[in-house]
Amino acid sequence: MTSNPTTISTGMPPRPSFWARLQGGLLALPLALVLLTFLAVPVGIVVAVSFWDYNDWEVIPDFVTFNYVELFTSRLTYILYAKTLKFAFLVWACTLVIGVMVAYVLTFRIRSTKWQIVLFLVCTIPFWTSNIIRMIAWIPVLGRHGLVNGFLEQTGLIGSPIEWLLYSEFAVILAFVHLYALFMVVPVFNSMARIDTSLLEAARDAGASGIQTFFMVILPLCRPGMAIGSIFVVALVMGDFVTVKMMSGGQAASVGVALRNEIALLQYPPASAAAVILLLFVLAMIYGLTRIVDIRKEL
Amino acid sequence: MIAKALTNWFFYALLGLFIIFLYGPMFGIILLSFQGPEGGLTFPMNGMSLHWIGDLFKEQRVGDFQGSFLRSLSLGLLVSVLTTVFSYAAGLAFRRGFPGATFLFYLTVTSLIVPSILVSLGIGLTFSRLGLETHWMTSALGAHLTWTLPFGLLIMFAIFNRFDPSYEEAARDLGASFFQVQRMVVIPMIAPSLIGIALFGFTLSFDEFARTLLSGGVKNTLPLEIFGMTTTVTTPTLYALGTVTTVVSFTVILVSLAVIAVLNRRSAASKSHGSEAAA
Amino acid sequence: MQSLSRRKLLKAGAAGAGLAIGSSLAAPFVHAQGAVTLRQFGTGVSNINIIAEQAKADLGINIEMTALDTDTTAQRIVTQPKGFDIADIEYFTVKKVWGAGNMQPMDTSRIDNYDSIVGLFKNGKLTPESVIAQGTAPHTVGFVEKAGDKGFASEETGLMTLVPTIYNADTLGIRPDLVGRDITSWADLLSSDFTGKASTLDIASIGMMDAAMVCEAMGLVSYGDKGNMTPAEIDATMKVFTEAKKDGQFRAFWKNFDESVNLMSSGEVVIQSMWSPAVTKVRSLGIPCTYQPLKEGYRSWGGGLGLSAGLEGRELDAAYEYINWYMSGWVSSVLMRQGYYSAVPTLAEEYMSPDEWGFWFEGKSAGGDISDPFGNVMEPAGAVRDGGSFYDRMGGVVVWNSVMDENRYMVRKWNEFIAA
Repeated sequence: MTSNPTTISTGMPPRPSFWARLQGGLLALPLALVLLTFLAVPVGIVVAVSFWDYNDWEVIPDFVTFNYVELFTSRLTYILYAKTLKFAFLVWACTLVIGVMVAYVLTFRIRSTKWQIVLFLVCTIPFWTSNIIRMIAWIPVLGRHGLVNGFLEQTGLIGSPIEWLLYSEFAVILAFVHLYALFMVVPVFNSMARIDTSLLEAARDAGASGIQTFFMVILPLCRPGMAIGSIFVVALVMGDFVTVKMMSGGQAASVGVALRNEIALLQYPPASAAAVILLLFVLAMIYGLTRIVDIRKEL
Repeated sequence: MIAKALTNWFFYALLGLFIIFLYGPMFGIILLSFQGPEGGLTFPMNGMSLHWIGDLFKEQRVGDFQGSFLRSLSLGLLVSVLTTVFSYAAGLAFRRGFPGATFLFYLTVTSLIVPSILVSLGIGLTFSRLGLETHWMTSALGAHLTWTLPFGLLIMFAIFNRFDPSYEEAARDLGASFFQVQRMVVIPMIAPSLIGIALFGFTLSFDEFARTLLSGGVKNTLPLEIFGMTTTVTTPTLYALGTVTTVVSFTVILVSLAVIAVLNRRSAASKSHGSEAAA
Repeated sequence: MQSLSRRKLLKAGAAGAGLAIGSSLAAPFVHAQGAVTLRQFGTGVSNINIIAEQAKADLGINIEMTALDTDTTAQRIVTQPKGFDIADIEYFTVKKVWGAGNMQPMDTSRIDNYDSIVGLFKNGKLTPESVIAQGTAPHTVGFVEKAGDKGFASEETGLMTLVPTIYNADTLGIRPDLVGRDITSWADLLSSDFTGKASTLDIASIGMMDAAMVCEAMGLVSYGDKGNMTPAEIDATMKVFTEAKKDGQFRAFWKNFDESVNLMSSGEVVIQSMWSPAVTKVRSLGIPCTYQPLKEGYRSWGGGLGLSAGLEGRELDAAYEYINWYMSGWVSSVLMRQGYYSAVPTLAEEYMSPDEWGFWFEGKSAGGDISDPFGNVMEPAGAVRDGGSFYDRMGGVVVWNSVMDENRYMVRKWNEFIAA
C-alpha cells in the first residue's frame, strides 16, 4: 500500500462534492457498522481481557501483566512460533509453485475458453465439500494400514508400513496444501488472465525462449496475484488450529492449537494475550507482503 | 511441431496430477461410504451397501444433520444476500470517496487476515460481557460477515477498476437519478459479478468453522456438527456426507454449465474473460 | 437425535425389552400442557439414545441429548448456562465449575432411591473398612451446605451437587494380538516396545493422573499425593512425558472416547489410556481388545446428573421425575452392560439376568453369551471380566480424576506438554 488508497484512478471526478462524499459515507455505513461491531469491538475486548485475572470458571477484571510475562518467558512460545512459521513457509512455497503452475496451464496452455472454464470449475468443486471432511479423507489413505501403505507393501516396495505418512508434520503440510492450494490458484489465474497476449508475442519476436518468456514476462506480471494468494495462505496457516490438531493426531504444536487448548480450558486471559501477540505477528507479516505490491490497485 | 505437442502434453499432465491430488483422497472416502452396516473408518472395506448413504437422511446416534444443515443453509443465504448488498454499496462508496475511507479500507483488510479464532474469541467474550447469549443468527452472522465482506469488497474493487464510468455519466446526463442509474445501468452490467459475490459469500459461510466456534451458540451449524462428529462417530457417516456433497456439487456445476451453453447458443454475443467474478 | 431409529430400538429391545416392561408399569406422568423437553449434554459415554427413547416411552418427557468432549462440557456450563437443563458430567468437572453458580443443588428428599446409593458417593467408603483413594473423590464435592454456596460440604447434607449415576475403575486398554507380551504395569505405556504405538488422552485432569500412575510405576517420580501434586511433582511428571513424546512414543492423543476406538481398531495404537465402553466397542467390531488390570491399581472416576440453575417449575419437576426414573434400575442395567458400575447396583440387578449380573458385577465366568446394550454379542460363554469382581476392581482404586490446588499451573504445564 505504497500509494494513497483513498483515490482510485478510474471512476469519479477528482474532487467530489460534499454531497457526494456524504452519500459515499452512507453507502459505506453498513460495512463500517458490521466491522466495528463484530471486529473492532471484539478485538478491543480481547486486548482488555488479556490484562485480566482468572480462575477455573471466570475472568476477573483487573490489570495484571502475568499473562504476557508467562507467554514471553515460556520457551514453548518460541518453539511454537518457529514451528508455525515452518508450516507457513513450507505450505506457502508448495502452494505458490502449484498455484503458478496450474494457473499457467489453465491460462496459456488450454486454448479453448470452454475447456478453461470446465477445468477451472473442476479445480474448485472440492472447495464445496466441508474442509473437515476433506481433511479426514486423508486418514484412510495415509494410515498405517491405509491405501498408500497397502499399495507399497503389496508391490513389495517396502517391507513394513511407513509411519510418518499420517499423524506427522508431513500429514499436516500435505493437508494444508490440499485445502489451500485453491486460494493461490484463483488470484494467480486472475492475474495471468489479464496479461495481454501481444506481450508474449512481442517477447517471442524478440527471440525469447518459452522459459525466458515465463520468467521475464509472465511471472513479473502476475506478482499481484501471487501476493494476494500468499496473504490468504499465510494468514490461514498462521491462524489454523484444526488441521494441525487433526492431521498430527493431536501431537504437533502450532500457535493456533495452543490458543485453542487454552480456550477449551476456559483460560481466556492467557488465550487473549496469545491471540493479541499472534494478531500483531500476522499483521506485521502481511504488512511486509503489502510493501511488495499494492493489492488494491492491482485487482 | 512434435516438440510443441509434447510440451503441451507435459503441461496437461501437470494439471492432471493436480486434479488427482485434489480428488484422490475423496475417492477413498467415497469407496468407504459404500460399506456395509458394520463398516468402519479405515480400509479394508467391510461389506458393500447403500446403508450409510441412506443413514444420512435418518436420525443419527449422536449428532443432528438435518437441523444443523438447515441452520447453515439459512445462515449462508442470509450472509450471501447481506454480503452482496453491503459490498456493492461499499464499492460505490469507495469510488466516490468519503471521510474515513482509508481507515475503513485497512479495517476491511485486517478483517481478512485476523486469525479466525481471535474473532471467535472476541465475539464470544463481548457477548458474555454484555450478558447476551451467543446465537447462530446473531453473533455467528456477524462473525461470518467479517469473513465474507472483505472478499466481497475486494471483488467489487476488481469490478469497478474495469468499469467505464462514461455509461453512468451518459445516464445521468439524460436525467437519471442515483437509484435509476444503479438499477438500469450499473447493476445489469455487473450482475454476473454480483452473483459471483453472492455465491462466494454463501460458500464461505456454509463452510465457516473457526469464526463460528465460540460465536455459534448452543445449536451447531453444519461444520461444527461435522467437527464434533469427527470425535464422536466411529462409522462412515461423515464419509457418506462427503460423497453426497461431492455428487451434489457436480450436479449443480453440470446443470449450470448446461444452462450457460444454452444461453450462449441463444445470444451470439462475444465472450470475454468473465471468469474472475465466479472465483 | 431426539428419537432413535427403529433398527437401534429393535436391537436394544433384544437386550432389555422384557426388563423394560417393569419400568413402564410405573404410570406415565400425564403432562397437561404437552410434553416437557429437557436438554441434556454430557460425554458420549452415557449420552446413549436408547436412554432418551425409553424416557420418552416411560415418562413422556423429551430428552435432547448432545454428546461433547469432557472439556467442552465444562465450557458449556460456564459460558452457556441457559443452553442446558441437565448436565451429565464428572465429579472433577463439578469441582471446576460449581463456583460459576450456573448449577443448582438437588434436594435428596425428592430422590426416591437415595438410600440405595452406594457409600462411595456419600462418605467415600466402598466398604466400612476401605481406605479413601487420593484425588477428587466424589463425596468431597458431592454436597453443599445450602443453595448458593460456592464451596462444598465436608459431609453428607440434604443437598447434592450431582446425583451419581456411573463410575468405573480405569486402566490401560491393549490389543492383545499386537502387543506381543504380557502387560502388567502402568509403566508399559512408555515402554520402548511400543514406540509410536501408544496413546493417552488429552484431558488435563484425567491425563495427568494417568501420567502420574506411569511415572510412579517407573520409579521416576514419587508423589506425596497424586491427587494434589506440588508444582515440582507436576514439572517432574511432565518432563518424563515430554521426553517420551519427543522420542516418538505416542501415535496420537485423543479427547473423546470414540477417537480411542478408532485409534485402537485401525491398529494405529496398541496400548493406551482407555475407557470401558471404548473397549466394549472395539470388541463388538470383532477386534480383540483387553481392559488390562495392572499391578499398581486403578484410576477411578465418577459422574452423575446435575441441574441447571435456571430450571424451575414444571421443568424442574420433570427433571426430578427423570432423575428418579434414571435411578430406578433400568438405566443402570444399560450402563452396567457397557462395563460401568451403577451408583445403585442393587436396583440394576433386578433388570439383569443372573448370568449378566454374575459376569459384570461379581466377576464370575459367563454361563452364556454376554451382549452389549445394543444386542451385539460381546463375550462368549466362559469369558471372565478383565479385573474380576466389583469389589476387586473398585477396591483396587488408588486415585480419582482430580482438580488440584495447583490446577491452573497443572493445566498450563499440560498444555505445554501437548504443544511441545
